[in-house]
Amino acid sequence: MNIQTKSQFVAVASITSELSAVMVVAKEISLAAANAKAIAFRAGDKAKGFQPITDFINELAKETIDLVTNINVYALSLYRLTVNEYRRTVAYNKFDLVVKTTEGVTYAQSMQAPLENAKISMQNCQRQFKRDVKQLLDQLEAVMHHARAARVIAANSRIEASQAGEYLQSLQAVAESVDKAAHTIHDNVQRCRIALSLYRNS
Amino acid sequence: MKMTKIYEGSYQWIMFGRDANKPSNIIDSNQYAVRTANRCLLLEPGGSELFAPMMAAVLHHTPVDQITDLFASHQDPDVISSLGLWDQALSNAKLHAPAIWEGYLRHFGCESIEYVPIPDNGGTIKLDSVELQLIPAHYLHSPGNFHVYDHHAKILMSGDVGSAVEAPGAPMYVDNFDSHIEKMRYFHQRWMPSNQAKRAWIERVRNLDIDILAPQHGRVFKGDDVKRFLDWFDSLQVGIAV
Ligand SMILES: [Fe+2]
Ligand SMILES: [Fe+2]
Repeated sequence: MNIQTKSQFVAVASITSELSAVMVVAKEISLAAANAKAIAFRAGDKAKGFQPITDFINELAKETIDLVTNINVYALSLYRLTVNEYRRTVAYNKFDLVVKTTEGVTYAQSMQAPLENAKISMQNCQRQFKRDVKQLLDQLEAVMHHARAARVIAANSRIEASQAGEYLQSLQAVAESVDKAAHTIHDNVQRCRIALSLYRNS
Repeated sequence: MKMTKIYEGSYQWIMFGRDANKPSNIIDSNQYAVRTANRCLLLEPGGSELFAPMMAAVLHHTPVDQITDLFASHQDPDVISSLGLWDQALSNAKLHAPAIWEGYLRHFGCESIEYVPIPDNGGTIKLDSVELQLIPAHYLHSPGNFHVYDHHAKILMSGDVGSAVEAPGAPMYVDNFDSHIEKMRYFHQRWMPSNQAKRAWIERVRNLDIDILAPQHGRVFKGDDVKRFLDWFDSLQVGIAV
């Protein structure tokens, strides 16, 4: 296996693992939102500004979970493509070796068709991989967007929490955990994008 | 890759082996081809490391598109781990292999090749006007295992049975049976698990008219050496690791 294929395998595998971490964190956000909602309910008027924010956080967490679920399907297809491309590249190289070692042999010519076919399917895999990587990058971009939005909301929540009297601490903790989670998602997704961007135009 | 015609009539049997470029940590194996007017069957096509030299050798005898059939006596990597490569090279071929190994052999890649499962009691492969019999050889050594008998050429391709561990570049034929025994003994004692299975196989095979016994490793037995081998194997205790 050459370095290019090896790192492609690693890149694709790392997406899956980063994404499963994102999933865990997104679920944490959704839990934090539910928590915040309960607190804001108890706080009544004192947390009036906080209530719509909790719904928004919850919505955002759900959308992130949906996006990641979708991205996982792409990641799986990328993995299959990588395996396929690897198999086809190995075959192409072996067929090429056969052609090179059979010059002048009676039926050497008959190897041309398989060689040509192997080349075409190998290139098809490479093209499809690049297409899928591009789509996946777009979707990752959407998740980043969500993470950025969540951080803005967290900042707003902090302001709202400061007016919530005795609920200040617990609401601030909610804002804190949303911020932290959004930060983690942002970092993980960023790593995915860096790992993949190598293959967009290679 | 060395090529030896072991039968030549209206069709041919060709033996391939002793590949000088093979990595030394890979067991040497014999591959066989039955070449008829318009078709070619490869028996025990070999491991994936062997694919390129094997294909290159086969091209001396047949164009790729006439390789219509593959046969694997059992699931071992030295027999058929090249399947995924043949699968991408052949556009219209069948793999004849034990039915019970289908789900396993497909791990090697078998998409364009049609898997023809051989039932436990055996079957036949028809190649133009040639008919080859698939003789059950279960537990010798694999739980699902077949040998190929050509009653016209009087050849039995016997898979791992009759195999010997040889120095590189050993001759193709057994020339001194007595001195050959030591190269076979441990292999058969260790790899063959069942005395009962061995007995059943010997009874079956003694009824066949065999001029050439062609194993997957080592040398080919001819004439009286075939009977010598059967007698020797008959008296050997196998399954010694327990
Ligand atoms: Fe074996
Ligand atoms: Fe073997």
